[in-house]
Amino acid sequence: MSQMNTKKPNSIARLLPVVMVALGMLFTATAHATTPGITGTSFSINAEANFISQPDGSMIYSWGYGCLTPPAASSFVPAPLSPTVAGAACPTMQIPGPTLIVREGTTVSVTLTNNLPTAAGNTSILFPGFTVTPSNGVPGLLTQEAIHGGTVTYTFVANKPGTHAYYSGTQGDLQVEMGLYGAIVVIPTAVPANVAGTTCRAVATNLPDGQTDYRLAASAYDHAGTCYDREYLFQFSEIDPNIHSQAEAIAKCVAATGITCPGNMNTVVTENYHPAYFLINGRSMPDDMDTNYAAQYPHQPYNGNPHMHPGENVLVRVIGQGRWQHPFHEHGNHVRILGRDGNLILSSSTTNPTALAGPLLYTTTTTPGLAMDGIFYWTGKGLNWDVYGHGFPGDTSVCVPDANGYYTSVPTAPNYYEWCQDHNKALETAPFGTVAGGGPATLPDPNILTNGPWYGGSPYLGPDATVRATGPTGTTPPSGTIANPPTSEAGFAFMWHSHNEREITTNNIFPGGMMMMMLVDPQAFVIDESN
Amino acid sequence: MKKLCQICLSVLLMGLAAGVASAQSFRVQCPPSTTLHSGKSTDQGAIKCQQISGGDGFSTMADGTQTYMFSFGPLSGLADIQAGLPGTEPVSIFNSVVDPNGAVGITPDPNANNTITGHVDPRKIMDIGVMNGNIPAPMMAIDEDDEFFLTLSNVGMIMRPDLFEQHTVHFHGYPNASSYYDGVPDASVAINIGGSFTYYYLAPDAGTYFWHCHITPPEHLQMGMVGQLYVRPRQDRIPGNEPLYGPLLAQELPTADPRKRCGTDILCSAPLPPSNSAIHANNKSGTPTLYAYNDGDGSTAYDVEYPIQIHGFDPSFHFVGMTFNPEQFTDMKDKYFLLNGRSYPDTVTPGALSTQVTDGTSHYSQPLATIINIPAGGKALLRISDLDVTEFQTLASLGIPMHVIGQNARLLRDMAGTNMDFYSNSITLGGGESLDVILDASDITKYSAGQTFYLFTPNLDHLSNDAENFGGLMTEVHICTTVDPSTKACQ
Repeated sequence: MSQMNTKKPNSIARLLPVVMVALGMLFTATAHATTPGITGTSFSINAEANFISQPDGSMIYSWGYGCLTPPAASSFVPAPLSPTVAGAACPTMQIPGPTLIVREGTTVSVTLTNNLPTAAGNTSILFPGFTVTPSNGVPGLLTQEAIHGGTVTYTFVANKPGTHAYYSGTQGDLQVEMGLYGAIVVIPTAVPANVAGTTCRAVATNLPDGQTDYRLAASAYDHAGTCYDREYLFQFSEIDPNIHSQAEAIAKCVAATGITCPGNMNTVVTENYHPAYFLINGRSMPDDMDTNYAAQYPHQPYNGNPHMHPGENVLVRVIGQGRWQHPFHEHGNHVRILGRDGNLILSSSTTNPTALAGPLLYTTTTTPGLAMDGIFYWTGKGLNWDVYGHGFPGDTSVCVPDANGYYTSVPTAPNYYEWCQDHNKALETAPFGTVAGGGPATLPDPNILTNGPWYGGSPYLGPDATVRATGPTGTTPPSGTIANPPTSEAGFAFMWHSHNEREITTNNIFPGGMMMMMLVDPQAFVIDESN
Repeated sequence: MKKLCQICLSVLLMGLAAGVASAQSFRVQCPPSTTLHSGKSTDQGAIKCQQISGGDGFSTMADGTQTYMFSFGPLSGLADIQAGLPGTEPVSIFNSVVDPNGAVGITPDPNANNTITGHVDPRKIMDIGVMNGNIPAPMMAIDEDDEFFLTLSNVGMIMRPDLFEQHTVHFHGYPNASSYYDGVPDASVAINIGGSFTYYYLAPDAGTYFWHCHITPPEHLQMGMVGQLYVRPRQDRIPGNEPLYGPLLAQELPTADPRKRCGTDILCSAPLPPSNSAIHANNKSGTPTLYAYNDGDGSTAYDVEYPIQIHGFDPSFHFVGMTFNPEQFTDMKDKYFLLNGRSYPDTVTPGALSTQVTDGTSHYSQPLATIINIPAGGKALLRISDLDVTEFQTLASLGIPMHVIGQNARLLRDMAGTNMDFYSNSITLGGGESLDVILDASDITKYSAGQTFYLFTPNLDHLSNDAENFGGLMTEVHICTTVDPSTKACQ
C-alpha cells in the first residue's frame, strides 16, 4: 500500500473523481428523467442571480430564470409527477429556465421581471421561430427589454409544434453564458389518426405494458410518424468560470474611497472563451444522473438519465444553448431526426410527400440556438444471439414475430419486443450457466477483466438471464455493480456523450461534463420517472 | 488528473494476486464454422477475424517530431496493414501458422491434440505487439452478413508502467449494439494487461463506421487509439450486368429475411428508391463496380475507395502523457492536424512510415498514405471519419466537387426513397462523425490524366505542423490514366 500512496504526486486528485462518482451514484438507483415543466398560457418569469453547483465542489455565480409567482400545482406536467415534487413550482432561479409546455395554437404570454443585479442592466427574452408582440419594457437592440426592477411582456401564438429554445436577447454573449436560457415544448393538437399503418396512442395513465405513461403528448408533431412512447430533453451549454467570476465581482462591488464600481457589465471579458464546465441541463456528469428536482441542486432541477424498454420509440429533444457546437453521440443506435426548431422535415417526393426526411444520425451535433427532435429506439435486432439467454433445456418462452419481426402480441411478457429471428440463438459456445449453448463466442475468464459500475453482470439483458448465466450470487468478480444491479435491473447501459471527448471532463477532471448513461432496461424492470 | 478505475483496479489486482491461477492469458477466437456459417454453398457472408494489440508506441509528425502514443497495433494481417489494407482476414488465413497475414502467436494447442483452437504463444504477441502502435489503428473492413471476431490483446504500455491501463474497442455507430460488446468500460468489461477479449458482431447494415478505445476517452483518443471500420453492402455481390433494384425490392417481401426489411421501421437504413433499371456495371478497371450502400439505383457506385480519418494531436498533451504528469483537458489544443495519422507533406509519401521507438527498434507507425488516385473519368469514394477530440474540422476540395452520399454510416435518402445526396466543395465534421463523399471526376472534359488537385482544410490555422506554417490537414488528388484497384497506384 505504501507504493500506492507514494506513486504519484497527484494521488489525492486522482481519488477525487472516484469519490465523486461513488457519491453521485448513491442517488442514482431509481432516478430517471422524462420532460418535466410547467404548462399554461401565461407565465411570470423572474431573472435573478444565484449559485449553481458543479461536481468538483465549486459553486458558480450564475443568472437564471425562475417563476415570480408560483404556477398552480395542476400546471406541473407530466401528470404522474404532479403535484408532489418540491421545486416543481420554480420557486427560485434555475438553469435551464423553467420548461414552458404549451399547446399548439394557444396565445402565450410571458412576463419577465428583471431582478438581476443593477449592474447587469436590462434583460429580455427571445422566442426564435415565433412572431412575438412585446409590450411594456423599453426598446432594446433585438426586442423590448425590462430595466432593472422592471417588467416586459411577450405575447405570441404557439403555432409550431416541437421543441424550441428561448434565451436572453440582451448582451447575449454574457447573459446567455450566465444561464439565461430555457426550452419551450409545443404540444401538437392535430395528430392524424393513422398514417403508414401507425396510430399515435393518446396519453393515458399507463402504457400498453401497464407501466406508467410519462409523456407530454402522443406525438412530437402533427404527424403520425412522430408518435413516441417516452421522451427526454437535453440542453447543452458550457461555463467559462472566468466570465462568471468577473460578473460576480462587478455585481457585488461595494463602492468606497478609492474604489469605483462599474455601472455595467461591459468590462467583463467574454472573448478568449475558455470553458471548463460542459453541461447537460445545467449539470455535469455524474450530477446529471441524479433525480429531477434533487434537493442538492435547487437551481439545477432537470437531469439527464434516460431509461427505456426495448422497442419503445423514445423522443429525444436536444437544444444547443451555449456558444459551441457539441457532437452528441448516442451509443446504441441511430436517431431519426424529425425536425429542427419546430419545422418537421418531410420528403420532396410527389408520390409520398408525408414521408419523414430528416437524416439518420448516430452523432446529433448540437448547434447554438438550434433545437432538434429525433426518435431513438433499441431492440437488439440483428445481433445474431438471444439477449435474454433463451433456449436452455426446459425453457418455455415464446417469440411470435409481428410484421416487423418483433414479439409484440403480449405487452406484459418479459420478452416483449424481442427480436424473434434471434430467439433461442446461443451466444456462448459452452456456457457456464443455464443459457443455450453451441453459439459462436467463448466468454473470457472474468478474472482478466475489470467490471464497470453500470455493467449488468453478464452479456444478457435482465436479472433472470443474468442470474441463470452467472449463478445466484449475481455476477463475475468483483460482484455488486453499483448503478445497474444484476439481480434487480441488469439493463444494457450505453453512454450518451459529447464526442469532442475533452468535454466529458469537469474542470480538468475525468469523468464529468457532457456525459450520461442511458439504460435499456428489461421489460420486467419498472421504469419509475416520478422521482 | 484522471481517472476513475485506476484505484479500483489496483485494489482488484492486489486481491487477485493471491488466489487466481486459472486466469486466461492471451487467446484468439476464430471458429471455422458457426450456426450461421456452417460451410454451405448458400451461406451469405463469411466468418472474418482480426487481432489487435492495445499498448503504446511512437509516430513521426511531418516536422520530424517523434510523438508518444497510447495506441493499437496489428496482430493479424501484418502484411496487409503494411500495404495500407485492412487487417481483417478469413478463417483460413487468420488461423494459419505460416501465412504472413495470420494471427500473431497462433500455434497448435498441446491440450487439444495439437489442433488450432485459438491457443497462442504469448511470447510472439509480446515480441510483435509491444511498442508497435499505429495511427490510425489497424483498419477493419467486413461485408454485410459476415460474422466478425475481433480479439484485443492488451500488451501493456511500456513507457507508462504506472498506469497498468485497460483498453477496449467501441464499434462507433453500430445500430442495436450490445452493451457487452460496446466497449464502454463503465457499462461492460475492460481488458487488463496480459489478457485477451474477443468482440463478436454480426455485421450491421453497410456504412462507414469507425472504432476507438473507450477508456478515459479524452486521454486515450487524443493519445491515438482511433481506427477505421467500414461495412461493404450486399449489393456488391449482385452478379455483373444484373439489375440492382430487384434484390432490394425482394428484401421487402414478407417472406424475406426480416433483418434487412424496412417495413415501417423509422430507422431503416435502405429505403426502396423509385423503380429503375440500373444494372451492376463494370468500373474503370473492368471488374464489377463496388457500392458504398445498398442503393438499388447505382447512385453510390465508385471506382476506387479511400478511407480517410481526421484526427489531431496536441504535442504538449502527448509529452505530458509520456512523462507521468497530470494532464490538463481544458487547455488541450491540437497542433498537428492529421489525415490517416499524417500531416502534409507526409500524407503524399507512398508506403508505410516507420518510427524508431525508445528501445532503438524501428516500427511501422503510420501505414496509410492519403494519396487520392482517380482513374480518368472515374469516381473515388472517400470514407471520411473524424475522431478529433477538441474541435470541428472542415475538409475542402479544390476543383473536383464533393458528392456527399452518406452521413453517419447511412445512405442520404428519405423514407419515401428520394435521394438526399448533395454536391459541395467542403464538408465539416465533429469528433464522432462520418461522411461518405464521392469525388466525381467523370467529366473528362474537365478532368484528365496528369492533373493534380488538393484536399485541404479552410480552417487555415490547421494548415500547419506545430511551428511549421505549411502542412497540416492537406493531401493531393491525382487524375490517372488507370488506377490499380488493389494497390491504388496511379498508372
